[in-house]
Amino acid sequence: MNCDKILDLFRSELVTVNVGPRLFATALEKQGYAAIQVDWKPAAGGDAEMIEILELLGGLD
Amino acid sequence: MTIQQRVDAANQKVAQMLTQGRPVWVDVQPAGQVIPGMTSHTILVPGPPIEIGRITPPIRTSVCGAVIHEGLAQTPAQAWEMVERGEILIRSSQDYGAANAACMVTSASMPVIVVEDKTYGGRGYAPLHPGPNPKCLRWGLYDEEVEQDLRWFRDVYGPALGQAVRLAGGIDVITVLAKTAGMGDENHNRQPAASMYLALQLIPWLLQIQSPKKDRVITHLAANDRFFLHVMMAGVESITQSCKQVPLSTVMVGMGGNGVEFGIQMAGTGNRWYTTQAPKIQGTFLKAGITEADIVGYLGDSCVTEVYGLGGMSAIAGPAYMRLTGSDYAEARSRTQKARTVSLAEHTFAPVPWENYAGFPVGVDARKVVGCNVLPISHGGSALRAGGQAGAGAAELPLECFKEALRGIAAQARRIQAEEEAK
Repeated sequence: MNCDKILDLFRSELVTVNVGPRLFATALEKQGYAAIQVDWKPAAGGDAEMIEILELLGGLD
Repeated sequence: MTIQQRVDAANQKVAQMLTQGRPVWVDVQPAGQVIPGMTSHTILVPGPPIEIGRITPPIRTSVCGAVIHEGLAQTPAQAWEMVERGEILIRSSQDYGAANAACMVTSASMPVIVVEDKTYGGRGYAPLHPGPNPKCLRWGLYDEEVEQDLRWFRDVYGPALGQAVRLAGGIDVITVLAKTAGMGDENHNRQPAASMYLALQLIPWLLQIQSPKKDRVITHLAANDRFFLHVMMAGVESITQSCKQVPLSTVMVGMGGNGVEFGIQMAGTGNRWYTTQAPKIQGTFLKAGITEADIVGYLGDSCVTEVYGLGGMSAIAGPAYMRLTGSDYAEARSRTQKARTVSLAEHTFAPVPWENYAGFPVGVDARKVVGCNVLPISHGGSALRAGGQAGAGAAELPLECFKEALRGIAAQARRIQAEEEAK
């Protein structure tokens, strides 16, 4: 099994894309790593009732 | 068509009404003569309906002042007893196509701006802005001096403005917004350019009217850099009257606070309110020593301008207001971007030069607010519990109102589905 590509990844500079809570990106930045924060929250904040309503009325796409 | 397709179609129709509506200021008349359903004992108040016992102190003062102004009582105590006995009908302005800013209330003899939407035919109403004197009914203050001002508005100022605007053949509100685009107004809490342009349009006609106090009328108008706000509020109401006739639409077409609760209205369910606890305006206070404990919750209907895409929605158009309220240009851009994210359309008649000539967003879709977790931000003034203006700033619109609104529209959709299946 060729593991070169995976090893290349670990040898290269780590750049992280963080989706969701900001604190994970902040923790990496404090350790000197670059992190790109994606401003994302689950649809309707994960509220099951609202997701059901939005599936009826549309608006999730 | 699926429900989703029908909601989309309804929303497109409402977005078209908001962008194609043509509000024209056509008259000033006593409220009781022009507002449908208004009686001699009706007092229109800002925000969603509220039980008598929960009415906030500055509104109580304004209501009592209006009852005395109408000659229905001699003292505030007598006036409030009439309210408690149900002899005075306290009603939400926006349920009548009217809007009352801050702590203002409207009674039958008070002159109101009449704006007609020339495209869709609706009519909207708002009392005249009182001017720069901070002691006024609009901020929940009432005494003999305020009463004298109300009489002057009723007997001289209102009729004079009505004569002038009729002579002018009406004043097109869109033209005022278009001519003053790029002059720094966000047109909810800041409108010196629009007010000056409006005065330019009106003063030549005021010079031609029959009025013994013509000079004072012109002086009062020209000294008021917020005059346009109330014309704009009536203009928005003229358009939303038509929007409220479109079932299944999830577009916000009404919003306001009564100091205790904040509420919004959806086009799909007309005058039904979706309410929650009123947020407080965050910003700056006019005097040192005022604290958050001194102010009531979000109060007033002037935020109907936000429904039309003004104020916080077009914060980028009026960056000076941001500095005034302790904020900055980046936040102005962020506020307009949030509004753009949750809105369905854009006005093209008043592009913002420093926003790459983009227009301001209009037609907030409750589905987008809830689905995207993006809360629009409204500008607004804050009122002291004891009456008077406390300050100015902004407030995030509460998510719970939008969730409740979606429950309301979903129930309507399911009812329609069930009725059709039963046929």
